[in-house]
Amino acid sequence: MEVNLIVESLKFLVLGMSTVFMFLVLLVLVLNLQAKIIMKYFPTKMENINVGHSSSELSQQGNLAVVAAIAASLKSYKQSK
Amino acid sequence: MKKVIIYLLMLVSLSFMTTSLYASDVAKENLNQDYKSKSVPELFGSLYESTGLNAIINPTEGLVSHGTVVSVFNQSGGRIMMMAICFVLFYLAIAKGFEPLLLIPIAFGGFLANIPLADIAGPDGFLGILFNMGVSTGLFPIIIFMGVGAMTDFGPLLANPKTALLGGAAQFGIFGTIVGAAALSQYTGVIDFSLKEAAAIGIIGGADGPTSIFVASKLAPDLLGAIAVAAYSYMALVPIIQPPIMKALTTKEERKIKMEQLREVSKLEKIVFPLTVMVICILILPDATPLIGALTFGNFVKESGMAKRLSDTMENSLINIVTIFLGLSVGSKLAAEKFLVPETLGILVLGLIAFSMGTAGGVIMAKVMNKFSTHKINPLIGSAGVSAVPMAARVSNKEGMKEDPSNMLLMHAMGPNVAGVIGSAVAAGVLLSIFK
Repeated sequence: MEVNLIVESLKFLVLGMSTVFMFLVLLVLVLNLQAKIIMKYFPTKMENINVGHSSSELSQQGNLAVVAAIAASLKSYKQSK
Repeated sequence: MKKVIIYLLMLVSLSFMTTSLYASDVAKENLNQDYKSKSVPELFGSLYESTGLNAIINPTEGLVSHGTVVSVFNQSGGRIMMMAICFVLFYLAIAKGFEPLLLIPIAFGGFLANIPLADIAGPDGFLGILFNMGVSTGLFPIIIFMGVGAMTDFGPLLANPKTALLGGAAQFGIFGTIVGAAALSQYTGVIDFSLKEAAAIGIIGGADGPTSIFVASKLAPDLLGAIAVAAYSYMALVPIIQPPIMKALTTKEERKIKMEQLREVSKLEKIVFPLTVMVICILILPDATPLIGALTFGNFVKESGMAKRLSDTMENSLINIVTIFLGLSVGSKLAAEKFLVPETLGILVLGLIAFSMGTAGGVIMAKVMNKFSTHKINPLIGSAGVSAVPMAARVSNKEGMKEDPSNMLLMHAMGPNVAGVIGSAVAAGVLLSIFK
């Protein structure tokens, strides 16, 4: 029995692209859902930095850390330009 | 009592020694019987017969190497041609900097495989042993995937998941090329690919070396050398192949689109991500789990942050060791009798088409998505959907900067880029499941 290679390969095209897209669409949906759940129930603690800032008892060491962080971010900003 | 036992033992061992000495005497006599006295010119004559020079100048009819009969041309001119090709690959790797980590071992493996008489790429040569150990079994590509997983940061994909679709569209190159390969063998008499071989060639369009080798070793082991060389050389040529296609398919305004800043991704999201991918893969396509499983394992170890030694090993020493072995054993398929066939030319042409179609697929998909979405996507990042991490993303970034120097697309392009790795692994799984 002669198999028409082109027809067969077109079938592969349909099967393959739909599977890849199905997989990735599912991945996108799940990732969006996952991000929502994680942000709602396990929010990252960003407040720490603000608390440190507002308190008057900022130690010398803490000050140095802040200065170092600013310097590092400036440096990376300059490098990225 | 003890003394008696020790004496007995010594006696027994002595008797063994004498018998073995006696046996070696007999062997010597046998050897001398085989050896016939030769004159000095005869000795030089037989030495000449075992030189590589003689093997190249006077090829023997019907010589069997690597299990196939090697034609007279492939023993002489073919070998020299292949060595020349290996030297071109050395040049590209060293002087031009094209994927030197891979091309140097591959080209040297090819160089070794073409040495006459030594049969290094044969089943008993060290290249053959490496090949049988890691490539025919599909082991090396899997270990490389672990390292890739441990190196890759999926953060950009997590921050903007819909860019994963671009990585899907770029896989059009794979399946489009299968159609092309089938059409080529249907309408031309010279090149005749079976459907399995067409599928193995198409996977070059995924722009993913390990995946290509994994699929080719399962579907078309004979074409492995040409497929691996095509895949890696086109990956190295991404900065040359992609930009003209990207420019032709986009307008100046589209290339200037600025995308919004990516959000912060929490550590927990990154840890959960490999497991999520794994679950989806298990449910939809278990055939892709060897590749995806290794990738997610590497990534999970990295993101867990608790096994730094393991992730360090995977992304450095382990991947380097396996890259050496993989390169050499792929190179062993550059032996003249395997490589100098019309199919190779077909594979090189089809591989280029596969790459171009993948690039176009990603760019067009980005334009389609812009029609339906309010958050605009710069179509230049679509081309990064072919996996070639991180080269393709860098190309997107560079092209974007050409239009607007303040437009940083690199992190945005990493999203489709890493999704492309997953996408081509899924495509590989589909192809393997078809021919099961």
